[in-house]
Amino acid sequence: MTGKENENMLKIENLHVRVAGKEILKGLSLEVKAGEVHAIMGPNGAGKSTLGNVLAGREGYEVTQGSVVYGDKNLLELEPEERAAEGVFLAFQYPVEIPGVNNTYFLRAALNAQRKHRGEAELDSMQFLKRVREKLAVLHLKDELLHRAVNEGFSGGEKKRNEIFQMALLEPKLAILDETDSGLDIDALKMVADGVNAMRSPERAFLVVTHYQRLLDYIVPDVVHVLADGRIVESGDAGLAHKLEEHGYAWVAGRQAPAEAVAGGV
Amino acid sequence: MSAPLLEEFGRGDAREREESWRYSKTALRALAQQDYAVADARAALPDTLLEQFDWAATRGRRVVVVNGVFSEAHSDISGVGASVTVGESAGNAYSIRIDGDIERPMHVVYANVPSAQSSRWQANVEVTVVSGRARVIEQFIGAQGESVLGSLRRRYDLADATQLDLVSLCELPESVAMYRLVEARVGAKARLHTTHVLLGGRLQRLDFQVDLAGSEARLESRGVFALRGRDHADTQLDVRHLARDTACDVVWRGVADARARGIFRGAITVAQGADGSDAKLSNKNLLLSSSAEIDTQPALEIYADEVKAAHGATVGQIDERALFYLRSRGIPLAVARRMMVTAFCAEALAGIGDADLRELLAQRVQAVLPAE
Ligand SMILES: Nc1ncnc2c1ncn2[C@@H]1O[C@H](COP(=O)(O)OP(=O)(O)OP(=O)(O)O)[C@@H](O)[C@H]1O
Ligand SMILES: [Mg+2]
Repeated sequence: MTGKENENMLKIENLHVRVAGKEILKGLSLEVKAGEVHAIMGPNGAGKSTLGNVLAGREGYEVTQGSVVYGDKNLLELEPEERAAEGVFLAFQYPVEIPGVNNTYFLRAALNAQRKHRGEAELDSMQFLKRVREKLAVLHLKDELLHRAVNEGFSGGEKKRNEIFQMALLEPKLAILDETDSGLDIDALKMVADGVNAMRSPERAFLVVTHYQRLLDYIVPDVVHVLADGRIVESGDAGLAHKLEEHGYAWVAGRQAPAEAVAGGV
Repeated sequence: MSAPLLEEFGRGDAREREESWRYSKTALRALAQQDYAVADARAALPDTLLEQFDWAATRGRRVVVVNGVFSEAHSDISGVGASVTVGESAGNAYSIRIDGDIERPMHVVYANVPSAQSSRWQANVEVTVVSGRARVIEQFIGAQGESVLGSLRRRYDLADATQLDLVSLCELPESVAMYRLVEARVGAKARLHTTHVLLGGRLQRLDFQVDLAGSEARLESRGVFALRGRDHADTQLDVRHLARDTACDVVWRGVADARARGIFRGAITVAQGADGSDAKLSNKNLLLSSSAEIDTQPALEIYADEVKAAHGATVGQIDERALFYLRSRGIPLAVARRMMVTAFCAEALAGIGDADLRELLAQRVQAVLPAE
């Protein structure tokens, strides 16, 4: 991919996805250009995390229709680790605890695996630690967390900040943040927003899934989408988030309903 | 049932033997159907075997036993010091007496070397720790070829207030089978710390019985089996608390891939009068393929008062969510799986003080999975 501004980084067309035999995404289309921040809002169970998981390559998510083009690649053909090395990053809504796997060891293995994939030199432990220290400072995370197992015993907020710390370290091109703001205190929310804003650049794009307007006051999006029942049903500028805050999702549903209402009225 | 081998291998009366071999009967029967010549104690060791045990760290403190017989040519005990006496009572029976601290471990190697036809060997070793703290690393290895069946009986006798740290690595090719019987007696305030690693082998059977015979005697038993292909490993641990305030802490992990078969039976008995004893057993197992099988059987019998006892055993699969998390950060599937295996077994290897040795064992364990 070229990574130039105003070029399509991600193009999702008519995506249909089944999970455990049930259709969750039902014709979702979305285009994200390099340099942009897109917010995705929508009711519980609408399919937001499903979208994140499909983009990251999680098994068990069956694409029955549609396409996802990332740069010049068919994203759906790549293994999760290849997607990561190509610059896709998912900050999990529920980060996983992995007992016995040391955090520092894990991060270095991840970074070096990505670098190797891209044909870059691997970092030795000195270079790696230098980088880690820089990024830790931005997120005000304690050094001590590095010596523990991955996410093990981390508080809810620490887990979320750790996701953003990983993002800062891995420097992805397309970062998908799945409710990273949920469960954060006010200070932590600012730190996370600072972390994201510091990384905004013409080569990088963000998909920010959130339920709350507050995060979008700090990370001002270029586009806001509403995802409901497996589709993007409304898109607008940052003002859309405010309207949603005021009127709730019923308002969007009302605006989208006509076709179905007619059918239902027969 | 393969009567001749069953009589030889195992403990207790006929019924107990039958019962203890229930998961490994077929494997034992297959072994019993072969004819064995006496293994050649002067067989030359192939370079691949020599490389496996020629560790720089244990030169001068190494005893090498080839097909059950002490090998003068390969052993080097020049650096052992006065605290260790090795005696030989017959061609395949040895006694080792340890009187005083051993700072750096003894390295005892048992090599299985095939002949032109199926062969077998047996040996008996008695280790007595009279005083101080002893450290022993034992290593069982074998070369691929015609089948070899080795059997080794050992007694460890720990006098009061002594300590023995034993690390045992048994890594066998698929043409080698081994039966090991270990009987230990731990005296008052003495401490036995063991770490067993079982890898490979057509059939590996470890019968490990520990008598906590004196008050405040203590056992820490750690172990891992990591099996692939058609490996078959069967461990039967039997701890008997025979005196007051004795303690045992058992942590074993099992991993099986492909069509491998693993068995762990951990029996703890707290005898009448062994009041105030403390018994802990944790056994967790990981299946890496749907054709692999692991059986675990914890058993706890308590006949004493004021006993603390806890035991748990599980068999599960790799956590797919964790695997995806690792991969989503760029770690290739094969590496991620190995990381999970290493993590799973870490607790059972954590008690090894020597970091290089611990790392070596962790490496060997994770090799149960292919690198790519
Ligand atoms: N593995 C699964 N098995 C069965 N159903 C699933 C699975 N994963 C997701 N679903 C279902 O898919 C729907 C969408 O889930 P998803 O997690 O994508 O919603 P979401 O928009 O992220 O919701 P929230 O705002 O609560 O996080 C839900 O109804 C959920 O129950
Ligand atoms: Mg969600």
